[in-house]
Amino acid sequence: MTHQQNPLQSINDVHTHFRYWSENWAKIGWLGLKNNPVFMLKQLKKYPWLNSLMKANELLNMYTGTRKGLYKKANSIAVSSLVSSIVDMVDGIYNHADKLILHEDLVPPEILYGMGLQPWMAEFLGIVIPFLDTEVMERYIDRAENEGIPADICSLPKSTMGLALSNEMPKPRAIVASNMPCDGGMTSYTLIQKKLQAPIFRLDIPYNFYNEKAIQYFVGELRKLIKWLEEHTPGKMDWDRMKEICEERNRMVELQLEIWELAKMKPSPMAGEAMYLPGMLYGIALPGQKRGTNAMKKILNIAKKMYEDNQSAVPDEKYRVILWNPPTLIFPDLFVWAEQKYGVAMLMDMLSFNRHPLIDTSSHDNILRGLAQIIMQGPMARHTRGPAENFFSDIFYLHEAYDIDMIWMAGHIGCKNTQALMGMFREKCRDRNLPLLNINYDLSDSRIVPPANIKKQVDEFMETVMQA
Amino acid sequence: MARYFAGCDIGSTTGKAVILDESGSVKATAIIKSKIDPCETGKTVLMKAIDKVKELSEIEELTYLIGTGYGRNEVPFANTNISEITCHATGAHFVNPNIRTIIDIGGQDVKAIGLQENGKVREFAMNEKCAAGTGRFFEMMCNIFDISLTDFSELSLNSTKTVPITSQCSVFAESEVITLISKREQPADIAAGIQLSVAKRVFTLARKVGLQPKLTVTGGCSRNAGLIETLKKVLRIDIVPLDFDGQLIGALGAAVLAKQNSVKIAS
Repeated sequence: MTHQQNPLQSINDVHTHFRYWSENWAKIGWLGLKNNPVFMLKQLKKYPWLNSLMKANELLNMYTGTRKGLYKKANSIAVSSLVSSIVDMVDGIYNHADKLILHEDLVPPEILYGMGLQPWMAEFLGIVIPFLDTEVMERYIDRAENEGIPADICSLPKSTMGLALSNEMPKPRAIVASNMPCDGGMTSYTLIQKKLQAPIFRLDIPYNFYNEKAIQYFVGELRKLIKWLEEHTPGKMDWDRMKEICEERNRMVELQLEIWELAKMKPSPMAGEAMYLPGMLYGIALPGQKRGTNAMKKILNIAKKMYEDNQSAVPDEKYRVILWNPPTLIFPDLFVWAEQKYGVAMLMDMLSFNRHPLIDTSSHDNILRGLAQIIMQGPMARHTRGPAENFFSDIFYLHEAYDIDMIWMAGHIGCKNTQALMGMFREKCRDRNLPLLNINYDLSDSRIVPPANIKKQVDEFMETVMQA
Repeated sequence: MARYFAGCDIGSTTGKAVILDESGSVKATAIIKSKIDPCETGKTVLMKAIDKVKELSEIEELTYLIGTGYGRNEVPFANTNISEITCHATGAHFVNPNIRTIIDIGGQDVKAIGLQENGKVREFAMNEKCAAGTGRFFEMMCNIFDISLTDFSELSLNSTKTVPITSQCSVFAESEVITLISKREQPADIAAGIQLSVAKRVFTLARKVGLQPKLTVTGGCSRNAGLIETLKKVLRIDIVPLDFDGQLIGALGAAVLAKQNSVKIAS
């Protein structure tokens, strides 16, 4: 973490900080008390990554220390969502071990919730831990490489495999994976399944998904998944619960869409982590939860208030940016820094943006159809396996809709799929006279490119191309 | 008293200085080998240029001075410093406003720079992590042949065929060249192979910014005629020579920006 220097805070800001700081600690403390403190202490030894998760409240300082007023509050809510999601995830492991389903990030968890199962997104740790403890994942990456995993595959599946190989992954009842988003991710589940000795189901997501045949095929795959889970786990599909989960998800997404609309204003009344953290957590990892809807509602109300008061989220907004590819895990406060130094407002990111965000809950078939479209035409699957046009059409739509000044591409060197698109991407940006910053770095391994070098790349770009 | 504006480009291999007068005419230039201390390099090269201007006797008499190059942050006497990418773009645009692509091959890195019509940087790409394809690589190769860069350039132009150098790394390339010499390959043909290996690396980098005409080469390696000829073949685009020493383009750009900044401040 590269904490920024905190400016003087008003009494209201101090109150906001203390309120969320104490609420977050209360959630973490509740987790310890509920599951027996002695047991939890033993678990800290068994699963060393729990130590990193317990530091989640440090993000409050990182993400809100330099921010003020309502914008500070919105980002405090974003951090609070992260703390809640960690607590929910860890609590689920201990209290629903018999229903624990380890799943890949392109598997709809709504189905697992609908069946009364406990989802555990395998990549969750690989994503969240570097945010909290940049160097911790290096041990797991090395473990995977030392066991023969090629060094040049994405460090996220390597982290996940390293956790399994280090016997630090709780044993699930079953595993659900897919053929997305990349070869490394797909292959990692063969190793994880072998190590954890749990039955596995692999969803086959069609490559060419813009036709009815593909949608129907994937709906069929989801039906097969439900049947398989009913045979291999205690889960039983409860369509009423499933409908409820999907409707809760829709409620959250509708609020998120309103925030997106407000963010189109110049200057934007919302930006930064408040724009992507809750959506990423409650849209991808833990969908259909009231916590997600509540967080989104609070952020929307703040955005509305700021808009009405003619306030911009980033004081003196100078540049509007979209971030493509997953956020820079090893430099989680990149946009806090960029905001302070250059007046950069980050308005949208790849993982949040989904063209088919809502689910029609009028019938079982429509629910599955909606989930199929969210996965097939949503982030990652749509961008890394589909035709290149998917990647470009989203970016250039966002360029116009948000009137952005530049694109920041988190050019994760382990992502062969997006690296392969870079040549075409550069050409298309050039044609549109749209400045493109390609940040060379590795998603989870700060030894490849440390945060200081990322800053250097940004500085060079801002000075040279943006004349900042 | 007449006003003078200077640019000081402190590179890893050489220090360069350019002094402009109020009309924008170049009054003096200087190039020296870089010293260990970048500040010392800056002082020495500036004084060498100042000695060529009658009205000037010390650095403080310059109206505005901009530092650039890798050692730019170590020039305490500069009014400000600006990245060498911006300075190369400004310098090339000043000499030829039709330039749209620059390949700057310096001592320790290679950059490809795409320019807008107004001379501002549109995009850039750089290789700063590998010595292969840089001036340092040529120095190493010249050492093997025990000749100067000028002679090496001439040597490559006299080749009858090109012996390919397959190693991407400069250390391995050195071993490969020594092996080729011991196999009695003709030095001229090996030299042509070295030029080709660098040109291919430049090609990869230049493609990132788009090869838009007119293209020029700056930096110390712009003096390597053999490389320029090879680049023309590999890039399949004409390389426009500038009416100014390519090695001095960064310092010239810094001087041009110094003059512009001075005007801005005055107004």
